Amino acid sequence: MRMTALQDTRFDTPYYFLQHESGLRIYVYPLKGFRSTYAVIGTKFGSINASFIHNGKTVTVPDGTAHYLEHKLFESEEGDAFSQYAKTGASANAYTSFDNTCYLFSCTERFEESLEILLNLIQSPYFTPETVAKEQGIIGQEIKMYDDSPEWRVTMNLLQAMYQNHPINKDIAGTVETIAEITPEILYECYHSYYNLHNMVLCVAGKADPAAVEAMADRLLKPNEEVQTVSIFPEEPYEVKQAYVEQTLPVALPMMSMGFKEQAGQAYASDKELLCTSILLEAFAGEASVLYRQLLDEKLINGTFSTEYMEGLGYRAVIFEGETTDPDQLAACLKKAVAELHQNGIDADAFENAKRCVYGRMARNRDVPSSIATAMINAAFVGKQPFVSAQLLESITVEDVNERLRHQLDPDNCTVSVIKGIEGVTEA
Amino acid sequence: MEHLIRREICEGVTYNSIVDDRFKIGRLSITLLVPLDRNTAAANALLSCVLTRSCKAYPDMTALNRKLNDLYGAVLYGVVRRIGEFQAITLAASGLEDCYALNGESVSSELAELLCDILFEPKMVDGHFDPEDVEQERRQLLEDIDAEYNDKRVYAVNRCIENMCREELFAVGRFGTREDVVNLTQEQLTAAWKNLLERAKVEIYRQGRDTSEKVFERFQAFFGGKPRRISGSTKIVTEVKEVKHIVETDEITQSKLVMGYRCAYPKTKREVVACALMSAILGGTPTSKLFANVREKQSLCYYCASRADTEKALLLIDSGVETANIQKAEEAVTEQVELLKKGRISEEEMAAAKLAVKNAYISALDSLTSVQAFYLQSILRSEPLSPEEAAELVETITKEEIVAIAESLRLDTVFSLIGNE
Repeated sequence: MRMTALQDTRFDTPYYFLQHESGLRIYVYPLKGFRSTYAVIGTKFGSINASFIHNGKTVTVPDGTAHYLEHKLFESEEGDAFSQYAKTGASANAYTSFDNTCYLFSCTERFEESLEILLNLIQSPYFTPETVAKEQGIIGQEIKMYDDSPEWRVTMNLLQAMYQNHPINKDIAGTVETIAEITPEILYECYHSYYNLHNMVLCVAGKADPAAVEAMADRLLKPNEEVQTVSIFPEEPYEVKQAYVEQTLPVALPMMSMGFKEQAGQAYASDKELLCTSILLEAFAGEASVLYRQLLDEKLINGTFSTEYMEGLGYRAVIFEGETTDPDQLAACLKKAVAELHQNGIDADAFENAKRCVYGRMARNRDVPSSIATAMINAAFVGKQPFVSAQLLESITVEDVNERLRHQLDPDNCTVSVIKGIEGVTEA
Repeated sequence: MEHLIRREICEGVTYNSIVDDRFKIGRLSITLLVPLDRNTAAANALLSCVLTRSCKAYPDMTALNRKLNDLYGAVLYGVVRRIGEFQAITLAASGLEDCYALNGESVSSELAELLCDILFEPKMVDGHFDPEDVEQERRQLLEDIDAEYNDKRVYAVNRCIENMCREELFAVGRFGTREDVVNLTQEQLTAAWKNLLERAKVEIYRQGRDTSEKVFERFQAFFGGKPRRISGSTKIVTEVKEVKHIVETDEITQSKLVMGYRCAYPKTKREVVACALMSAILGGTPTSKLFANVREKQSLCYYCASRADTEKALLLIDSGVETANIQKAEEAVTEQVELLKKGRISEEEMAAAKLAVKNAYISALDSLTSVQAFYLQSILRSEPLSPEEAAELVETITKEEIVAIAESLRLDTVFSLIGNE
């Protein structure tokens, strides 16, 4: 076996890595005694990668192309992938995010057959004018469904209001108008630019044998010549575009999303930065925090309140989100609390408490094959080794977290997005 | 493989343990089952929130949450389910297995104590729950109920069931009604708590590496010598006099169509599995009749899925449809149901459904929460059905058995939520 054994040290579990000759990077994380296997293959091509330089040529494709391509790759000349997986019993899916597209399945038997389907899927593009046109109806329906989703709208509106130029401000699926411009040629162009095995990663977790995965890769992967594809992003100013945005939808309870935009260059946040942010947000706004209690007592939040750190090339933001009866008051309280946080920092007790919580959460994720595989693929996409943070956590100090805070949560650079109910309907 | 060991503490109270060393997180839960009752449903639902907020040992919510963080982000939560015309209140605790604790703490025993404390030793003020806690949790529960309207897919399914079962207890819902939650008194809440402890059927699940007897003993000390037998049964409706058509409008872009069917009650384990297979063939997988025909071939909807409720004997088909297509979609769904009833099931459809259902059952074994949830589905039955046993049964179910259940399908209610185009 050519796979290299690595160690998820903190949890004393070996996992395996192979830089395959075809260009594909492969990770396998076996979980002893598990009955199911989760496999995911992905490329660093998401909705924000719509402008790029490929073989010296500058290309801009319609918004929503990455997602459209995902739908279309899911079918081949032999029919759609679902009907192929139906013969193996695997549960399959695919998703497109802002900066990647992933194809996955989960199964309890006939793993090799399903992996063969998966690897063939991403290596055999088949687009004709007819099949491309047919998808417009279904994706149009999907876009409409998201238009009705207050959770999705509140976040998308937030990103649109926060970002002046960066394509993170565009809907992943595009619009009915932009997807109408998509042709087989555009899909092939994107496919050849981004679905090169050098730009892709395969991760398997759960019931898994690394040698078997390696043998399958040897048999099924066609060698790829490395291509140079570079995504282009416009300059993004530090300042948010607008401080407030609202939309009316039929909701019984308003929703609010508040984003604190940060300086983001053309580099990803480091493991240490991400860890510090996790601890910071847990200590500041987690369920054991003074702030969480205060917001509950003032009846401004409920169990849906959450915090998230969103980051990628050219964008970084802390986002607080939840249902609330009074979005304006909640936003005011959060802003005030953030200002105070900058004055006082996180205290040692809250830090220790949050750190233990973050460790437990890592352990929790290690019990779930899909979480493990996703963690591996996300790390690989940004050129990091997975599972380093579990080791790093021990060394993080309260000073590290307070230093990190200085670059985050700028109370003068935030946006509030609100979904309000329709008058007369909210009383339903 | 991990075996379920059942020990009866007394009649109606069972301690289940599954020793399983595969995970980093262990789990303990207690489920209290009572007949669904308009007068107590809201109280039981609110209790599941109030109880997990504090206890005598940790009377302050923030202090309790700090303790959970100290136990490496342990989680303590309550879930309310409707199973047939019964209400199941589950309190669960999950946390790091002791061997992964950084300083040699026994997380599992502390967490087990906490779970017992919140149920047996809640924080009481003058014989009732702390009014401040109750008001906080009441507000949040009301917001949860209101928010079910925010997700139109969930909302449409709920409205279909409410209309379909309006003459039945099933319509009460797992949280009771909004009005009941608003009007709930301290006395009702305290009475509901006592009733749960004294009368409910109890199923305790200990899952993980812990093999000590301490947890069993604590439950035994509390429940020992307090036998109970729950009364009540689920009303099964199999005939429909007239199909109800309910139409609502709203400011949405994608309309929703939900079709509610009655079906015969699956009595045996074989029939339960056959019912799941029937739903999978019809609309449970991406190659099912509904997905392949109504979505893929006819492009009439974005999603079109069916799910069977074996305890209430219902089958619901829900779809997201363009308003202009709503009538056509209803006809297309009806056509597929008729084909199923006539036994028009191809070998491929049968094989695909069996593989998919088996895959789902076996996959459940890789999550402690899923395993417990799976067992809960058979809580009303004389014997628990395990995921492995269900998966084995899948292999042996015949087409005739599936068609026999399909033939009992009767359309009862069509609920449409129409958008303004």
